[in-house]
Order: sequence, then structure tokens, then C-alpha cells
Amino acid sequence: MRSNELNFIQRLQRQKEDALEFIIDNYLPLIKGVTYKVLSPLGNDGIIEECMNDIFLSIWNNANKFRGDSTDFRKWICAIAKFKAIDYYRKTARNVEFTSNQIERNTEQSAEETLIMMENEAELIKLLHLLDPLDRKIFIMKFFLGLKTEDISAKLSLTNASIDNRIYRGKKKLRNEAANLNFGGRA
Amino acid sequence: MMKDIYEHLNDVDISETEYEEMAVTDLEKAKIKKRLRESIINQQKKANGWKKTVAASIIIIGLSTAALGVTFPAYASTIPVIGDIFKFLDPARAGLYDNYKEYSSEMNLTEQSNGIKMTINNAIYDGETVSLAFSIESDQNLGDNPYLHGLLDIKGAQGGTGGSQITRVNDNNYVGLITASNNFKHPSKNKVNIKWRIDRIISEVGQKEIEGDWSFAFALEATDNQTQIINQSAEHDGVIVNLSKISVTPMSFIVFYDQAVSESVQKEWHMVDVDIEIKDDWGNRYSGKGNGSLGDRDGYNMAWSKTFQKLDPRATKLIVTPRITRYEYTSENHGSVGMTEAGTKEMQIPEKPGKGIEEYTLDDITIELKN
Repeated sequence: MRSNELNFIQRLQRQKEDALEFIIDNYLPLIKGVTYKVLSPLGNDGIIEECMNDIFLSIWNNANKFRGDSTDFRKWICAIAKFKAIDYYRKTARNVEFTSNQIERNTEQSAEETLIMMENEAELIKLLHLLDPLDRKIFIMKFFLGLKTEDISAKLSLTNASIDNRIYRGKKKLRNEAANLNFGGRA
Repeated sequence: MMKDIYEHLNDVDISETEYEEMAVTDLEKAKIKKRLRESIINQQKKANGWKKTVAASIIIIGLSTAALGVTFPAYASTIPVIGDIFKFLDPARAGLYDNYKEYSSEMNLTEQSNGIKMTINNAIYDGETVSLAFSIESDQNLGDNPYLHGLLDIKGAQGGTGGSQITRVNDNNYVGLITASNNFKHPSKNKVNIKWRIDRIISEVGQKEIEGDWSFAFALEATDNQTQIINQSAEHDGVIVNLSKISVTPMSFIVFYDQAVSESVQKEWHMVDVDIEIKDDWGNRYSGKGNGSLGDRDGYNMAWSKTFQKLDPRATKLIVTPRITRYEYTSENHGSVGMTEAGTKEMQIPEKPGKGIEEYTLDDITIELKN
């Protein structure tokens, strides 16, 4: 039995490898588009390939956490791709110990955008549950998916000021919690 | 159970319309699938209890411009110490090179020419393949993928295959790994003389070429290796795969195999490749790296070797799955001279009925390991 449009999600969740092949055949152009958009400034094709591999591996490993139909699936993997690509961008920028032009690039970003640098994002994700659902959504969009404040406010029908305000309060809360939990956080 | 990021991502809707799909070739898809398969094999193996736990830590910091300005220039001129280049460069993070450093020789041979310092840090010869871990310190930017022009020569080898990769570590510092394999048809030697002479380094930045002389010559003794003759085969649909022998070293094992393709299949497909996957009777799956192949002119009857990571000492059986790939040559995966408006001739790819890429696996071959 092979995967097709109707059964591939179910087969993926049952860990059938042909479902993964179906997904690569059908969604690689989209995943490649998202990955290139974020990572092409690094000018390193090896990183892009590694990231794409990681994206598909994550889809495979976390298939059971997906809920919805094939339209939702497209959105879900698109979000995973963006999340991973941004994660790679940050890690790579850090691993090269900031070459001089990257220092410049980083200083152009607001302090807010570079606020959260994680040794292990899994730990930060653990802290996310401390936020209320709306703030959590905002944080994920902002820090894991790299959306601009304007885009978030448009999606959630809130004002820019209220988004910024929630981010400010949320950061403060996370920072305090991280310190309390002795994760070695420092502000 | 706390939700993780993948569950949270169900709830956020990022408009996918802002992303443009990019063109993807069949070859790219095949490459991604192959690599992904290796990663899945690797993590299954790790799940079997081989994985070392890594201490996790979290740092939440508020980076300000001032902090960057003060902190990082101090690092900028320092070469980070890459303790284990083999591991650092392991292409698929697959663990293939995990035990290489331990059994390699510390070389620390340095040659400097035209402001570029090249050092061979570690070297290892497993009886089949020479692997050299090296680093480069340059006084100028060589781009992300500098190309080293020169030959890594194993004296007395009659032809061979190899490859190299280089990664930028920071600023103008790079680390790399170069491998060269012997002619597989001759018995391996216990000691090899190696010459590596680089006469040019080609930088992507402005297509610059830096001429110089970085020459290394040294001898390497093979690590311990035990060879077992196998001669077991599997056949299906006009393709025969014969496992000829296996060589076990302290940090790896190497499987030698041959492929033969019937004439009827040769008429149907432009190219036929055989790759092998290996697991053992303890459920470990081994990741490996092909050393290339030598064979007849048309490339249908070939002798291959593939190096796998360290053998679990408890294993008594290896289960080998040969995976056959049949390709159609297209302008994307096969070199041919392009047409121009002036009418330059293109190398003709002969028309054959097999289209696209087809993959299938042969029956498993089980090897009883002798100790």
C-alpha cells in the first residue's frame, strides 16, 4: 500500500516511511522556499540542506502531535519549517562567534529580537506554559517564527501597543522564572 | 503532559502565502530522502541506548548593542578550538566519525605560504581509506567554501576515489576533512606513504586564486584490522550484489561489495547503483559513508566499498539490505554540453525506456561474524 492524498497523514502517524516520501515529493518545494528565505543570507548551502533534513525529521518524529486535515498539515509543516530555519539562523550566527559583519547585522536588530538566545530551546518551551494562551501564541509567533509585531497584531486583531506590552510583561515573567528555576538565566 | 512546540504550532496560523515554492529536481528529492533515511536509522540506533546524555542548559539574556560591542571583538581574533574535527564535520551528524579521533595519529604538521597556514591535525588509515583532518588559518577571507587545488596521493595505489569538505569556523579560519581510498582490487597495505600537495587555493570571493605551496609527505600505519571473506550474494531482476569481504577496525568496519547488471537491464537504464544498509542482531543500525566505486567503463559492473561506524562488540550477525537505484540520465543529473543559439553540439544521452528514478531493495544477506 502506498501513500496518497487521502491517507498520507494517517500513514505518517503510523510511522510508515512511504508517507514521508510522499511528503517530500509534494511539499519539498514549499519547505525549500521557507528555508531559503530565512537562511540564504548566511550563504551556506550545507546549513540549508541540514536544516531541511532536520525539518523533515521533526515532521516524522512529531507526527502524532499534528491535528487536522491536509490544509492544516500544510500550515503546520510551514510553521515547523520557519521555526527550524530561524533556530538554525540563530545557532549558526552564534557558532561562528559573530564574524564582524554579523555583529553589524545583529546590532541592527532590536534588542527585543535578540532577547531570547537559548542553549536549548526545549528548556524555553518548558517555560512557555507559564504564560496564558494568548501570550504564548504571541511569543511563539514573535520568537520562534520571527513574525513582526504588525503581522501578529493583524492576525490576532489587537493593537501593536498591546502586543508590545504583552511581550514586555511576558519577558519579565520568563526571566524571573528562569532565575527561580536556576537555569542560570541572566538579564 | 505539557504541550511541546509542535503541538503549539497547530494553533498558530502563519500565512503560508508569503512563501514562494521553489523548483526542486528529482535528484534533490532523492538526495533528501537518502539523507533522511540515514538520520532516521541513526536516531533509531540512538534510541537503543547508545546515546550519551547531553547536559542541557538555558541562557536567557538580554543582548544589547553595547554588550555586543564589548564582548565579541575579543573573540573575533581567536580561533576556536575544535577538539574533534572528525566529529565536527560528520556530515549527517550520524555518528560515523565518533571514534576516529581516539584512534588517529596526532600530526600537527603545518605549512605556511602566502599568508595562509595549513595544518594537518590528525590522520588515520583504516587499511582502505586515508582520512586527514586539517585546519586553515588565513589572513584573508576565502569565502564559505574555499577549494583546495591539489592531489592527495597514496603512493602505489592504482587509482582510487576520495572526497573533501571544508567548513568555516569563524572569520578566516576553516577546518576540513579529506579522504582518499585505495584501489579496492588489491589487498590493502599495512603502511602507506602519503603525499598531499596543494598549489592553489581558490576562493569564491571574487573568484580569487591564491598560489602557493603547501606540501605534506608522511607515512601512516594502518589501524588494526581483521578481514573476513564473505562471498554471499543476492539477486533480483537482473541485478546481482555480491558481498566479498568485511574488514573490522577499532573505530569502524568496511564492507566490500560488487554489483553486476544484466544486459537487458543495461538496455533499459542509463545507470544502476547499489547502496547497502546494515543492522545487527542487537537491533543496532549502522550509519555509513560510501567510498566510491571502481569498475567498467559503462559503470554497470562495479566494485564498491562502504565504511560504517564502530561495530558493537556484542554483534554476532550483520544483516545487510542492498538497495538498488536505477536512474535515467537527464541534463540535471548527467554532464552534457549545453546547446547555445550558435548551435554548439550537445553530447547525446542515448534514449532508454527506463524513466525517472526507481528504487527497490533486495533480500537481506545475513553475515555470521567470526571473532
